Amino acid sequence: MSTERFHEIVLPLKDKLYRHALSIIRDRSEAEDIIQDVLLKLWDKKKELSQIENLEAYCYRATRNLTLDRLSMKSFRKTETLDMKSFELTETTTPQTLFENKETASIIEQCIDELSETQKSVFQLREMEGMSYKEIAETLDLSQDIVKVSLFRARNNIKSALLKKDSFIKETKYGNRTNR
Amino acid sequence: MEIEQIDKLLGKYWNCETSLEEEQLLQQFFSENVVPDNYKNVAPLFLYTHNEQKEKLSDSFDEKLNQKIEERQKKYITIKLFAPALKIAAMVAFILALSFSGLFWINSTKKQHFAETYNDPLAAYKEATLALDKLSLALQKSEKASLETLVQLNELNVDWDFIDSLNMEIYKNEEEIELKEEQNLKL
Repeated sequence: MSTERFHEIVLPLKDKLYRHALSIIRDRSEAEDIIQDVLLKLWDKKKELSQIENLEAYCYRATRNLTLDRLSMKSFRKTETLDMKSFELTETTTPQTLFENKETASIIEQCIDELSETQKSVFQLREMEGMSYKEIAETLDLSQDIVKVSLFRARNNIKSALLKKDSFIKETKYGNRTNR
Repeated sequence: MEIEQIDKLLGKYWNCETSLEEEQLLQQFFSENVVPDNYKNVAPLFLYTHNEQKEKLSDSFDEKLNQKIEERQKKYITIKLFAPALKIAAMVAFILALSFSGLFWINSTKKQHFAETYNDPLAAYKEATLALDKLSLALQKSEKASLETLVQLNELNVDWDFIDSLNMEIYKNEEEIELKEEQNLKL
């Protein structure tokens, strides 16, 4: 693959790959380092890349492998939830709802963290990247059935965590009213 | 979008039966509209995924990456240009290493023959001088004796030609005896 083709095909994937690494490692600077390493490795063997059938899936796999390696090597542990850049005040949000959203985001993150690596990756590729089941299966080298089952479990785990939180809030409110 | 439709889509969503387009509709609904109370529990999930889609690398990333790529390109070109020189240098280094190791080995084996027997250098010097003096005296004596013998021989006035002729006769007689013996054996 020529330098121009590398810039045209591989480099535009950088943000997608970054989000994938971030979904696993949950640390922005670490994820950025990983993507730099992945892209430099791909650059080093750019001559071989033209022979690869599904280059996007290949790049995702390279990112995933390196991220998991980094995660195990450094025994990296996420200590706090990501600062939600986009949970900001808009016309429809108030400081109260913003606070609630951040709290809920943290519950969602905790829930995602508890998912298996496969469930986490399937969820990220479907929800954030909008990939089809077939594309996810190719990218993660899994069968479509496993992809569907993993996504089903991931969504339902998050759903039950959210419903649990909601019922807890309702109970607290109801409790407060009766106390008055 | 109507509430009934949202209910239907949400049901499909939890069962993983929605298409990508339908999931897009749900995400739009929950991130753009004021969410009805009965959906407030699940709305943050769609808002969360919507926000995660906006995550991007920092602005300085491209600059850093290009810098690294340029460094790699320069390194590659340098290696390519100096590859023959590097090969020669490697060969020279290899030969030098072999020679030095050979020399070192020879020196280490020679050390045993030239092992020092004296601890005091001055005593060693004296002993060596004494030995050389003795050798010198012996050589001088033998030289003097041989010169004296030569003088005495000259003074004897020996007729060397006569002695040579006697020697020749003896030699001839010996040859004749040998021939006779051979003839007797043949007979």
